[in-house]
Amino acid sequence: MLRIRCRFSKKDDMVYVSHLDLVKFFGRAMRRANVPIAYSQGFNPHPIMSFATALGIGVASDAEYMDIQLDREIEAELFVKTVNDTLPKGLRILACKYIDKSEKSLMSIVARSVYAIEIELEKIMSKENIEKEIDGFLKQDEIIYRKERKKKNKGKRYKKIIEVDIRQSMCNIEVLSIAGKKVIIKMILAAGSENNLKPEVVITKLNEMTGVSIVEDSAKVARLELLKKHEKQYVSLMDVAK
Amino acid sequence: MQKEKIDDLLCRVEKPGQYLGSEINSVHKVVNDDTIRYCACFPDIYEIGMSHLGTQILYHLINTIENVFCERVFAPASDLEKLMREKKIALFALESRHALNNFDFLGFTLQYELSYTNILNMLDLAGVPIYSKDRSEKDPLVIVGGPCAYNCEPIADFVDIVILGEAEEIIVEVLETYKNHKKSGYSKQKFLEKIASFKGVYIPCLYEVDYFSNGKIEKVYSINEHAPSLVNKRIIADLENAFYPDKLIVPYVNIVHNRVMLEIFRGCSRGCRFCQAGMVYRPVREKSVDKLCELAGKLLASTGYEEISLSSLSSSDYSSLQELVSKLIENHEEDRVGISLPSLRLDNITFEIIKEIQKVRKTGLTFAPEAGSQRLRDVINKGITEEALIDAVRKAFELGWSTVKLYFMIGLPTESIEDVEAIRDLGFKVAAEYRKVDKEKRGKGLKVTLSVSTFIPKPFTPFQWEAQDDMNTTVEKQQLLKHLINHRSITYNYHDVKTSFLEGVFARGDRRLAKVIELAVKKGCKFDGWREHFDFEKWMSAFDECQIDPLFYMRQREYDEALPWDHIDIGVTKEFLRRENEKAKKEQITPDCREICSTCGIAAKYKGGDC
Repeated sequence: MLRIRCRFSKKDDMVYVSHLDLVKFFGRAMRRANVPIAYSQGFNPHPIMSFATALGIGVASDAEYMDIQLDREIEAELFVKTVNDTLPKGLRILACKYIDKSEKSLMSIVARSVYAIEIELEKIMSKENIEKEIDGFLKQDEIIYRKERKKKNKGKRYKKIIEVDIRQSMCNIEVLSIAGKKVIIKMILAAGSENNLKPEVVITKLNEMTGVSIVEDSAKVARLELLKKHEKQYVSLMDVAK
Repeated sequence: MQKEKIDDLLCRVEKPGQYLGSEINSVHKVVNDDTIRYCACFPDIYEIGMSHLGTQILYHLINTIENVFCERVFAPASDLEKLMREKKIALFALESRHALNNFDFLGFTLQYELSYTNILNMLDLAGVPIYSKDRSEKDPLVIVGGPCAYNCEPIADFVDIVILGEAEEIIVEVLETYKNHKKSGYSKQKFLEKIASFKGVYIPCLYEVDYFSNGKIEKVYSINEHAPSLVNKRIIADLENAFYPDKLIVPYVNIVHNRVMLEIFRGCSRGCRFCQAGMVYRPVREKSVDKLCELAGKLLASTGYEEISLSSLSSSDYSSLQELVSKLIENHEEDRVGISLPSLRLDNITFEIIKEIQKVRKTGLTFAPEAGSQRLRDVINKGITEEALIDAVRKAFELGWSTVKLYFMIGLPTESIEDVEAIRDLGFKVAAEYRKVDKEKRGKGLKVTLSVSTFIPKPFTPFQWEAQDDMNTTVEKQQLLKHLINHRSITYNYHDVKTSFLEGVFARGDRRLAKVIELAVKKGCKFDGWREHFDFEKWMSAFDECQIDPLFYMRQREYDEALPWDHIDIGVTKEFLRRENEKAKKEQITPDCREICSTCGIAAKYKGGDC
């Protein structure tokens, strides 16, 4: 069994392609590129691929990951080239690496996601003042987010509101740059199956709980990196033996 | 040229992936002052329009012409339309995001009568005047084609050019002529006059209609020396060598038919008397197995699709179907390509083929007896016997299928209550057949679906003179069946009576209906084929305000009555259609054209057919 791990970017127009459509898309891209991708057994064979996390619609990323299973080995460089030749603008394989079959799945190892978020302020503020507000925000022990969950019971749809403390899911927030009303903020947030926090939620809370007033719907989100935990450190998902 | 700023909207609508225009195999050209710009417009949402093979053929064909750039647009879904109207963003072509009023041609395909409102709504959203007479030299030319073009009189006032028949050759001729006219002092009138004489072109504004005081048509006649009194359809004589794309656009979002579509032949020799496609697409023309295998290989490689669908009006009538399917399996089995064969007739040979291709997947099987009783099947010339049908169903059950769908129509000419009841009887017989099959062999969980639509008489069919059932009669028949079909394995579906009523009005409508459509659009009608959008009350008030009685279009016509489409010639003679209608009344069958020529007129007029 051959497994290849790829890091790819998803930006420009491709941010509007949903995760499910992207999975289908890559299956076909592999066929166009003549990559010997392995297929599942059974009545409805599908290409064996798995992804780290689903990226929300509208979010750009330089750090998407997928594992692909191959039937026979092809040179990694050739793999990148042939696949990239069939991809549209906005999708690009950045790196790939064969990994051991015992390697844990991407989904199970993702722990942190790093984002850059551009926001537009209602009023101009200095960098120091924004940082002061963020500091105060992060000094709180608890930040409660009221989450709406759509539920179904006996065919009836209803909404249930649950309260979640998101403070522990925020690892770091800092101001990267500022130009007039436009501010770029960097965030490191918990990601993965155990604990996952969307940057949009943090923006909503910042707007709600601090003196930083943000223009509604102005946030443009880009993922910079996905990390896993390795001996008390957070490292790239590409950081594997072999 | 202003590019429409749509990025901010895309984050706020459902399935934004459908509006990107950058799909694999989409074509992007640099636009300069000389570029002739054509937009293939589909008057329904993306997932329907992108499933339409004709649009993909024309898109790639037109883009092979030098200096001509063909783009696409679909009816935006309601959420996007609302935002566009709020932000005053004009309807734009997907590839360039340029507003449609920058284009030379807006080419609408007429697949369905109930999409007419969407055409007007799209023109309005593009800021293009809806009436042909109101569009200046600077506005785009509205060109239409497709099955409803054969009687497009209800929308004739809105369009400039109608393409009758198959477009692959004529569209190139029209565009080349336009290119030449553009070089030397373009005048819309002169250009339209020039192409009016081309075979397959109909210019509605060069014709006029006179009416009798009783509302019937007196005559339709040419008012311009360049416009022929009888307009002929165009066909591709040599289908084997006609243009067929070796790539298809692969959508980002899921669509109705998300697979390679490979057309194996055109036309149909069966002669079902209700079927417009069976008459207007004559004669039958096949592509060779070699050609099809070559195309299949290229299309699968360029798209990456995992499935190929062999399309035609009646796949099992393709003369070398078994050979074609075997070769396709041989060539692509290793790549796990699935083959699907829609529009199958289930005879013995077909079963052998299905056994082979359905080794993996057992999707539902579909049969189309169309009528419940043998008597009525003879009337409509659907040459299928109950014995053959039951035989086929039993074979399917023995091979492990357990989901069967049967298509019927109610409201067919001469139909009696017994004929309606026979639909139930046939459904029950099918269910009983399942029980007779060995439990070991048959699949689990029998599911029979009886899908019953409402018959709508269509132009250029032997039933074009017949009355359409009024709504009360249709509802009575639908309810009767609902009451009769009480079986836990049988599901009964039927069509919305009001939708069928409106479709019937426009199918055989005339130019006086234009103002009704215009008014209905003003009242907010669009997506009339979609239950959640259809608003019958608005339509009725539009008819009322225009003082037009829709029932006028549902009635029986005499043979000597002038029909709104009498100036259109599809090659099949009116005399043949009349003869067939008389035979229908006598319950007489007309054999398949391949057995004996029924002298419909097509062979005398068009070369290239295998009929």
